[in-house]
Amino acid sequence: MQDSLILLVVLPLLLAFLLPVIARYLGNLSGLTGSLLLLFNILLLANAWNSVGYSPKVILLGGFAAPLGIVFYIDKLNMLFAILTTIIALLLWPCRTHNTDVREYVLWLLLLAGCYGVILSGDLFNIYVFYELLAVASYGLVTLPATGASYIAGFRYLMISALGSAFALLGIALIYSFTGSVNIAHLAQIIPDHLHHIWGYSAALLLIIGFGVKAELFPVNFWVAEVYSHADKRVTALLAGVVSKIAVLIILRFIILLFPWQDIFNFLLLLGIIGVIVGEFAAFYAQDLLRLLAFSSIAQSGLVIIAFACATEAGIMAGIALAIHHLLLKPALFLLASHCDRSINDLAGLAKSSPWASALFVILALSLLGVPPLPGFWAKLLLLQSLMAEQYLLLLVLVLLATIVEAAYLFRLFMLFYQRQEMPEQKRITIQGQELYPVITLSGILLLGLFFLPLFMDSLREIAMQTSNIEAYINTVLGKVQHIGEGNI
Amino acid sequence: MSVLDLDHVFFLLIVNIGIAVLWGNRPFVGKILTLLYILEGLSILTSYHVLLSGAVLSSSLTFTVMQQTVQWQLGVSGGFFALITFMAAGLATWFSSGVWARSYAPIRLLHSYMALNVAAMLLLLASNDFLGLFIAWELVSLVSFLIIAINGGRSAKAAYSYILYAFLGAMAILLALIIIWNATNSFSYVEVRHHWSTMSVNRQLIVVLLLITGFGIKMAILPFHRWQAPAYAYVPAPVAAFLGAISSRMGLFALFIVLLQVVGIDVIQTLWLPFEIINMQTFLLWLAALTLIIPTFIALRQTDARLLLAWHGIGQGGFMLLGILSANALGTAGGIMHVFNHASYQAALFFAVFSVSYRTGTADLDRLGGLVTRMPISFTVMLVGIIGLAGLPPMNGFVSKWLIYKALLDEGMPLLFLAAVIGTLGTILSVYKLIHNTFLGQLRLEHENIKEVPWSMSIPMMILASIVFITGYFPGLLLESIAAMQSTLGISVVDYHLGGVNTGKGNLNMIVVVSTMLMAIGMGALIFFVLGNPRKQVTQWDNYAGGHFLTSDMRYQYSHNFYPGLMRVISPLYRNTIFWLESAIVSTVQFMAHISYALFMQANYLLYLILLVVISLLWVLAV
Amino acid sequence: MMIWDDIFLEVDFWINIVSIALIVIGIYGIVFSQHLLRMVFGLGLLEAGVNILLVKAGYQKEAIAPIVTQASDTMMSNILAATAQMVDPVPQAMVLTAIVIAAGVQALALSLVIRIYKKYGTLDSHVLFLAMERDRHLSLNQKD
Repeated sequence: MQDSLILLVVLPLLLAFLLPVIARYLGNLSGLTGSLLLLFNILLLANAWNSVGYSPKVILLGGFAAPLGIVFYIDKLNMLFAILTTIIALLLWPCRTHNTDVREYVLWLLLLAGCYGVILSGDLFNIYVFYELLAVASYGLVTLPATGASYIAGFRYLMISALGSAFALLGIALIYSFTGSVNIAHLAQIIPDHLHHIWGYSAALLLIIGFGVKAELFPVNFWVAEVYSHADKRVTALLAGVVSKIAVLIILRFIILLFPWQDIFNFLLLLGIIGVIVGEFAAFYAQDLLRLLAFSSIAQSGLVIIAFACATEAGIMAGIALAIHHLLLKPALFLLASHCDRSINDLAGLAKSSPWASALFVILALSLLGVPPLPGFWAKLLLLQSLMAEQYLLLLVLVLLATIVEAAYLFRLFMLFYQRQEMPEQKRITIQGQELYPVITLSGILLLGLFFLPLFMDSLREIAMQTSNIEAYINTVLGKVQHIGEGNI
Repeated sequence: MSVLDLDHVFFLLIVNIGIAVLWGNRPFVGKILTLLYILEGLSILTSYHVLLSGAVLSSSLTFTVMQQTVQWQLGVSGGFFALITFMAAGLATWFSSGVWARSYAPIRLLHSYMALNVAAMLLLLASNDFLGLFIAWELVSLVSFLIIAINGGRSAKAAYSYILYAFLGAMAILLALIIIWNATNSFSYVEVRHHWSTMSVNRQLIVVLLLITGFGIKMAILPFHRWQAPAYAYVPAPVAAFLGAISSRMGLFALFIVLLQVVGIDVIQTLWLPFEIINMQTFLLWLAALTLIIPTFIALRQTDARLLLAWHGIGQGGFMLLGILSANALGTAGGIMHVFNHASYQAALFFAVFSVSYRTGTADLDRLGGLVTRMPISFTVMLVGIIGLAGLPPMNGFVSKWLIYKALLDEGMPLLFLAAVIGTLGTILSVYKLIHNTFLGQLRLEHENIKEVPWSMSIPMMILASIVFITGYFPGLLLESIAAMQSTLGISVVDYHLGGVNTGKGNLNMIVVVSTMLMAIGMGALIFFVLGNPRKQVTQWDNYAGGHFLTSDMRYQYSHNFYPGLMRVISPLYRNTIFWLESAIVSTVQFMAHISYALFMQANYLLYLILLVVISLLWVLAV
Repeated sequence: MMIWDDIFLEVDFWINIVSIALIVIGIYGIVFSQHLLRMVFGLGLLEAGVNILLVKAGYQKEAIAPIVTQASDTMMSNILAATAQMVDPVPQAMVLTAIVIAAGVQALALSLVIRIYKKYGTLDSHVLFLAMERDRHLSLNQKD
């Protein structure tokens, strides 16, 4: 049953190459095929969710067994991220906008194929390949608006991303030359004990920094502000919400399975907390809404990285909760913000002309801030608990102080929205109707999730348990060697 | 009465919010909302005897998360505060229900925010564990922010500074909760109290200080006092009365519950600040005393009547804390009683001041005067109110303050007693300034045609004034529930009767005191009016000085620069230290923000990546 | 001295030197040049260096090409015996993929360079950064 999950990657790739042909006959309707594909993917995932059940599964590609063959590893964490990716992609799917270029659909499909591939892959090199696929598609998407600024932003993004990928590849080369393997499960048996020296550390850092570029890790996230403010709103939403979280997911796998060394955790904690502080402060200074949100998403990614770098079960649980929360929330905020893409002071009195939009913005932003009983609070509470369990008191205080800075700029924004004096007629912004549907859906998912909070917490704990269980990972992937290996060779 | 009475109240509150949101603009909705508040108050009052016996009203509302069951139960302390809340909200809505509403455009917002505030406060009062407390706390902060910001402009600024302070407080509380959770693995009051000693002494100290900071910010204890006065002063009349009466007492309630029920005053007495400088209890008592003195003397300087009252609200909060922390049956009773007393006279005073500004259009004490003949009801209410605020008999403020003085003396803290007396002195001086500059002295020309406010506004004032008097006459009415509170918390219980308290060294019986006073006043009046009364009625304009007739446009009453002699002595003491501190923090944040932003806006951004890689590889070499 | 002679004669050593030199030059080109084309070329050099390192990971001295010559003989033991003297084929496969990806990325980068040049008439990265910020500023304040 779960073998059909391979279709998650195959179908978007296939459709991406067929789409230019389909478009010739169907015209604008060709966008629909993509939506249908995503719906199909959701069904596929929902179907597989139960069959995956409590134990993770492995798909062997090409029939070879690991560590020689290429595997897809499927556990609840991966499934969860795949489902969320699909949902967000479906909501952001550009078919509603008229005269969408078919190339845009192709790029979206490639991006999605890359996302699924990165999520499911069980070996380093495949992660690299799918990561590059995703990256190349995102360069194309960023430059879609065809303005000069978007070209420059896209080029700068490409450069830093390619540099990061080159470092990641260097890390892979290092690891391969020491271990002769790229299979994560196989490496998880070797690296933690046998590569606990300078080369192992170098490889770890190169990989983390390389993938950190997309994860908005602190000093390599300088593309975020410019890309998010110049790219198309849907692309921004997808990059901020989904792609960055997928990159964080890779880093999580790395530090749990391959490099479970305290020094690496400390390194990530340091970068994470600097990211949180710098991000919040920069957002405090930012003068336009998109940049403000971009900086705040840097800070949020920092929080996720801190949580994962605790590397305890509680930390992983907190990190997943924060990541999911941000993954659902940031796209909605970016969609709202893209309609008011101008300097903050021009947004005064927004609530008069578009009351629903500003109300949604306020609720979502409060959740971002972690105001109880909104979902963000519970995620933040988990994070604080896991930090406290590790006795990182200083980190705890810094995170809380950063939250006050966050409150300062968000409430300044709210007060502007609800100011009595309105902007003059020609500067007024009205957001209503169709533009709000995706936002309403996302907020609906978030707020409905609140009613299933205990249930949700339990399943999160389960996922975190599964994720932190290194033995299970190794056994699932390598345990199959004997089983299939005997039959095939 | 069923035990699930709290559900009725919650249901009524939801109805309340619904009506306010849907029909808040309709003319009669204010009356309906008032009735609803009264109904809610009554539904608690009818089952109050259950509370007095130590039982709780619980709600069927509950949820479980992280193995913690959060539920809402109203105990006697919550019930007492809830009654004050409903009283304040009901009377404030009544005040706004008539003519006043027509002059205030966003009346629907006002009704809705008020209903939301009451609901959030009830959630807070009925919370039964730290998680519920924190959730309700944040809700209260948010809705307070809404209601403070209602007027825009200055009040929006004040609301912004309030919400920043509130977030600082909330984060402090959150940190404390996380530390507690780490040690005890629980959020429930009982469990935490049980496992309290598993925390190291340092942790205990940090937690207590964090909780004091967090909850104290709401009641504006000392270093965090700057937000409150502007926030409470620049709002519409009913809101000011409501906020001044009860809103900041939520901080006191939380402190009361946390310090006395969960931590326990005995634990606080054993805690010492680092290097054994000062005992925790002494430290907190002095903090309370400073909170009493400094804002009171800041109030003395105000020329805006609303700001004056708001600053006094902060000072009286210090009084309550002083009483509660004195660890004495009388002191705790006095502190809690002062909450009720303060709510009643503060609301009355705000109503009176806002009535004046409703008619005259100003609350500036330099631009008023002589209104006593024009607005006699407001004058009477303010008189009753300031007697209560100054803590003089026969009003209720006297009883609570007397209890606190007595407790401080009994516990052997004469210096704190002195501080309390200095605070009261400042209060007396400034309330005299208030009533003098508003109602006494020379009537201004432009106020000649001023009339008393309409009944919809004056009746709530009079009700409050009579409450102030009655609870001063029969303090036993309040002491009954306070004694019940003390016994549920397991601290020493005050020995009370209808007229006051019995102490070992004598007792206070307000019935005797007040009756004597009334008789004396009555006899004096009798002598004055019956046995010869050589007086002549003149108009307010009929004034002479040195044999010359004074025209009405000539100002001969001084109201500007009140107490010049005193001010010359104490004005060097006003240093604005906290103001400087605040601006220093703000500019630091702005500086940091600028730097962070500039960090991101780099042409050569790839350098960072390379630097990071090089540095981290060097770090690897070092490790 | 003998040791050094050995090292200098070692192919391994020279491959390492060359690839590291390529990487360093590439990074220098990307980071410190203001000209966009030079940045793209730097990227090409960097990726070439990384690829050489990667393919070197499977290198084995005096080994044969990884081709199983006796196709009919599928006995496990024979294959294992053959692999012992073979160059590891996996890095070569990976390098092929990486080269393709790198070529794609560089092509995309070049096409962006062309677009940028058409819009702005310059390829100076500092000037372009300022131009981007100016465009952003204009688009924020122009809309009404």
